[in-house]
Amino acid sequence: MRFAGVMLAVAAKDLRCELRGKELLPALTQFVVLSLVIAGFAFDLDASSGPRLSPGILWLVLVFAGLLAFGRTFAAERDVGSLEAMLLTPAGAPAIFAGKALGATVLLVACEAVLLPAMAVFLASPISPAVVATVLLATVGMAWLGCLFAALAAQTRARELLLPVLALPLWIPFVVVGSRAVQVAMSGGGFGAWAPAGQPYAVLLDFDILFLVVSSLAARFVLDD
Amino acid sequence: MIAVRARGLVQRFGDRVVLGPLDLELAAGERLAVLGDNGAGKTTLLRLLATAARPAAGRLELLGVEATRERERLRARLGYVGHQLGLYPALTALENLEFFARLHGLGRERARPALETVGLGGVAHRRLEQLSRGQQQRLALARSVLHDPELLVLDEPDASLDAEGRDLLGALFEGRSVVMATHDLALARGLCHRALRLRAGREAGDPWGAPRAGGPSVRPREGAGPVPLPNGRAAGARALG
Amino acid sequence: MAEVPPGPTDPEGAENRRLTALAGVAVAAMLVAGWAIFVYAPQDALQGPVQRIFYLHVASAVAAFGCFAVVLLGSLAFLWRGSLVGDRLGRAAAHVGLVFTTVTFLMGVVWAKPIWNWDPTRTWDARLTSTAALWVIYAGYLLVRRLAPPGRTAMRLAAVVGVIGFVDVPVVYFSVEWWRTLHPGPVLTAPGGPAMPAPMVVAYLVTQAAVGLLCGVLVAIHYRVQARRDAALARAVAGQLELASAPEGR
Repeated sequence: MRFAGVMLAVAAKDLRCELRGKELLPALTQFVVLSLVIAGFAFDLDASSGPRLSPGILWLVLVFAGLLAFGRTFAAERDVGSLEAMLLTPAGAPAIFAGKALGATVLLVACEAVLLPAMAVFLASPISPAVVATVLLATVGMAWLGCLFAALAAQTRARELLLPVLALPLWIPFVVVGSRAVQVAMSGGGFGAWAPAGQPYAVLLDFDILFLVVSSLAARFVLDD
Repeated sequence: MIAVRARGLVQRFGDRVVLGPLDLELAAGERLAVLGDNGAGKTTLLRLLATAARPAAGRLELLGVEATRERERLRARLGYVGHQLGLYPALTALENLEFFARLHGLGRERARPALETVGLGGVAHRRLEQLSRGQQQRLALARSVLHDPELLVLDEPDASLDAEGRDLLGALFEGRSVVMATHDLALARGLCHRALRLRAGREAGDPWGAPRAGGPSVRPREGAGPVPLPNGRAAGARALG
Repeated sequence: MAEVPPGPTDPEGAENRRLTALAGVAVAAMLVAGWAIFVYAPQDALQGPVQRIFYLHVASAVAAFGCFAVVLLGSLAFLWRGSLVGDRLGRAAAHVGLVFTTVTFLMGVVWAKPIWNWDPTRTWDARLTSTAALWVIYAGYLLVRRLAPPGRTAMRLAAVVGVIGFVDVPVVYFSVEWWRTLHPGPVLTAPGGPAMPAPMVVAYLVTQAAVGLLCGVLVAIHYRVQARRDAALARAVAGQLELASAPEGR
């Protein structure tokens, strides 16, 4: 249970710092809203095209918000040398990483709490519980992977360049499957549709499990020497 | 017990050897001052001793354990203060210590006494970013002894401390083995038993800055046995709290 | 924990000759494959001469996957056992694999255009995207090597990318089944046996063998160049240490 204790302590610390610092969350929220406004003009959205293009816009905004969030979470630690300080305790790299990833997930979810209602308002997207569930399912996997690569990129010379290069290809499966799942959900298929249309959910879950395990195993090698 | 045993320690960055080969031995309870100009390799050596980095070659044993094995257990017995504080600006002094206590698997109640020990009891609820540099340094020192480590590795801990803060160091060192890098020769003489001077990553022969009879200082002392500490107590009797 | 890598253990000349001979065999094999593709194999009734790209395209894809499997194994060997050989092999295979991925991708584009009137700005294809993603991942592997602090850190971080990147490989293969795409179904492993006539299968196998050999030779050459560079580095470091160890009049 030491693992859980450390993970929760690290996540709580990150969230507390964020609530006090108030740097990332306002920036993310601003980014989200602005993106939607720009999308509205750029795609010339109206009552019919809004819902149709919603899944795509959703993932586009989510991906870039994610890059922003994960990049920052490790950059901040690096500035004060606190990542090393955490590692020089018996807490262990896997638990510390899990805590960082959990914190980043919560931040991204907070972002989504702004994004999804905003989409319902600006783009007339049909946001249903199934859509929310799909987004949350994908967020977990994307966050864990994103954090791993953020931790990796933070140790290199060109971290802003490297994070997208590493994370985007591996996020593609999430985006593709998630997009299909959101399409299904938005066109009215709820959880009941476990027929061929239900497959995307299962695939997302598989991805989540796979990448969670892989990231956790890799964390030790990325964070610590 | 030998606190630190290093044989042929080497560190390199790319194709440049920045430290070594270096031999070093520190008995339990001994205090070693690491002296030298900037760039001589002091920080590199200290980071190796704190397990913050892996050596490129050589053998390193800390507290009887090979340094690259069981690092998590070793780190529970080591304390380190480097150039960066490693503390969170947005958290209060108390919250910072409570967090690290959690990471060490200790109860949060350990934080308050540690704060008092370094004289920061009065600013417990002030955020780190609102403290002076000297106060922040004291907090980092408090964090390094939170878990009552056997070996303390400090990289220029006196850098931002006032006279009162420097007196503090002696109290914190009590009962522990210490490796401390510093530019302050007087402080080093007052607090430490021995000195190691580095020059271009290698041991230089004049540790205290003046010729000394009896050969280089880092040969192991003749005869094992507890090292008498300045206050008369023997090492091994670790002070609590 | 001495980590100074050993110098080359083979006499240089013998190793050079071996590699050159192998390279010659690989080139010869490619010529044979060329004959197999253009002369031996019959023309496809439906797709016409363009279909001949298929042999090289698939062979390159398989070679690329093989390379990335080597990157995976090398990376795992480095992470688990600190194997410098593994690290070197991974780097060599990543370079070569990237080349073959490029070839696969370009051939795929050339093949697709006349067959489906394919317009990259209109149609999205899962396998194309996955191949491009694979390319970016291994380009990322090489970038990480270059941008991270040199030495153990670069090796360690790149190895992580090598392991995780490999996870994308099955995604590429299964993408044909998971997503509705324009990519023709797998013709070689279809349940009823190969959907191609025997001479085509033979032509493919010959091409695959030749490409595989070429790939192996390229990796071996790359590895050797890297091994010699590492040996030179080790000598430079050892030289510095010897200088440092010389008695200084202590």
